[in-house]
Amino acid sequence: MRKMSENTKNSRNFDIYEVFSQKTVQSPFVHQFSLLAPNAEVALAMARENFLRREPCFNLWVVKRDDIHALPPEERPFLERLDNKSYRETKGYGDLQSRWRRHREAYEARQKQNQANSGSQAGGM
Amino acid sequence: MAETKRVETAAEAKQNQEYLQALSELLFQLADDDFILAYRGSEWLGLAPHIEEDVAYSSMSQDIMGHAVMYYEMLEELGLGKADDLAQLRQADAFRNAILVERANGTGGYNDNPHYDWGYAIARNFIYGMFKRVRLEALLSSSYAPLAQVSRKMLTEHRYHMMHWQVWMKQLANSTPEARNRLEAAIAKVWGDAGELSDLGPKAEKIVGFGLIAAEAQLRAEWLKQTQNIFAQIGLDWPGEPGSPAQRGRAGEHTADLDQALATLSEVYRIDPAASW
Repeated sequence: MRKMSENTKNSRNFDIYEVFSQKTVQSPFVHQFSLLAPNAEVALAMARENFLRREPCFNLWVVKRDDIHALPPEERPFLERLDNKSYRETKGYGDLQSRWRRHREAYEARQKQNQANSGSQAGGM
Repeated sequence: MAETKRVETAAEAKQNQEYLQALSELLFQLADDDFILAYRGSEWLGLAPHIEEDVAYSSMSQDIMGHAVMYYEMLEELGLGKADDLAQLRQADAFRNAILVERANGTGGYNDNPHYDWGYAIARNFIYGMFKRVRLEALLSSSYAPLAQVSRKMLTEHRYHMMHWQVWMKQLANSTPEARNRLEAAIAKVWGDAGELSDLGPKAEKIVGFGLIAAEAQLRAEWLKQTQNIFAQIGLDWPGEPGSPAQRGRAGEHTADLDQALATLSEVYRIDPAASW
């Protein structure tokens, strides 16, 4: 079991906590705000009363800001990509239905042709 | 408990004068406890140890004030007077709150050099809150149906409040020696008054007889058992049997602290009770 003092030993230093909330069981967690607290337990106890008094709230996360690692500004430009990857976007599959139709029609036409051919062979026997 | 008749509406309650008296007596205890404690909480506005707590405590005090309103409105429905008047125009001797909730927050006044005791605020809210939870749970099977319904609503919010006060109790109990000492001194002070919480007043026998709430001894035993469990979890020494104050708030006897509280909280309302808000 975790000792109580481990939960409270940081009480001399307040840290910044980022608070995320979820409106309903199906909603994504959304970042709301930050607050100061000596530990996660206190941060959770403060979160709702401080910023979610009016909105519905199903669940809460608190994360110490120091534990969130973000890209430094000088590395952010590396996130940009060449604009030649439409195949990774869903719109690359926008014509899927018409393609299916074309293939189905070609297939059905072939089937019909085959049946006609085998029918004429049978009649010729 | 003898089998008791369930009363569904205020109109039905009003048909039996004895029942009505017992019910109003209990409702005043419930309403006044929450109302006066919420008032004491509101006096911490701007004075709590840090900004997050300041906002949280004020918000919860509003919630508790809201619980008091629900009870005062039930009294209004029973023909005891307008809810606002019941809260703000009664004399101190008509109040049925326990002495514990009327005690000042510390020395000095809100506008006059307030030296409030944060440890006392935590200990009082926690220990009163533990009793309130037991009382609300007992009220779920009250013979007065509207009271059972209202209690169910309050319980959810109250459980959340208790999470808050329990976090604070744990923090202070396991923090620096100074925090621990101050919390223990505050608990001792609260404990000296806390025994009165389970007092159902001079009409206790009727209140219990009509099945409005469980008997005093049962409420008290359950409250002490649950509180002792949490003290053990947190690592606090159990203070033993709670004491009772010299005055009996449930019988309308009060301290000068209540006079001060009532004079302040009703000051504006008394200027013009007909003003619309």
